[in-house]
Amino acid sequence: MNDAVATTLVGVFGISGSLLMLFSALAMFRVRDALSRINVFSPATGLGMPLIVVAVYVYDIHSEGFSWGSLLMAAAAVLCLIIVSSVGSNTLSRASVLSGQPVYRKTAPNRLARPPAGVVDDDPDSPDQPRTGA
Amino acid sequence: MMRIIHGISYLGYIGWAIVTGSVTIVTRVLRPGQYAQPMIVEIPLRCVTDLEVTLFASSITITPGTLVTAIAAGTSTQPPVLFVHALFEDSEEAAMEGLYDMESRLLAMTRGRAPSGPAASSAEVEQEEERP
Repeated sequence: MNDAVATTLVGVFGISGSLLMLFSALAMFRVRDALSRINVFSPATGLGMPLIVVAVYVYDIHSEGFSWGSLLMAAAAVLCLIIVSSVGSNTLSRASVLSGQPVYRKTAPNRLARPPAGVVDDDPDSPDQPRTGA
Repeated sequence: MMRIIHGISYLGYIGWAIVTGSVTIVTRVLRPGQYAQPMIVEIPLRCVTDLEVTLFASSITITPGTLVTAIAAGTSTQPPVLFVHALFEDSEEAAMEGLYDMESRLLAMTRGRAPSGPAASSAEVEQEEERP
């Protein structure tokens, strides 16, 4: 691989990855609640960081030559980033809901607050409906 | 064999969804006006095993613009339910349609064929649970 191609590829992947991180951070200022902020950050972790890993891998091929070890490392890094990002976002959003964080008031419909029309939501433990035979 | 083909096409589908979702989030930052239309929708799952539910929840969350906020476990009469926070969908129906499409592709990967019925019903869940 000649110098110009390698430099261009590293630049394209690295800069687009970094810009994705930047724009995800900017997007966090445009939304109003914790859930949306967790939501708009997924381009950074799901696409931005893998792109930076790809840039590093291309640079590594160019400077050190191809080796199976570094290919394996890059593939494992991308895979782990995506899995960790997904599981981490799930955990964060569940924690935010369970801890009672307020949800943006214009979230509509909010099925966590209101069941769909036609669904009867019986709570057997509610004091209004004492259990028979208890 | 069909599973491998469906698996590769599912990986491609998820990759494409990540790219288009990221583009949506970035272009909306540059556009003035209302940024997002957040909603939390409730989808009864056709996924049955833990692996299917986990894969589906992770796929939803890794797609920019959708996020799993809560998971309700299934019972003998009701399927498991996911509560999904969606940012850029036009309506509840559009959001659920996209999620069901993703679920069909995922089930085609794990089971080797796409499920037949469009929506989950309790009868279908019982039938799936009886399967060895």
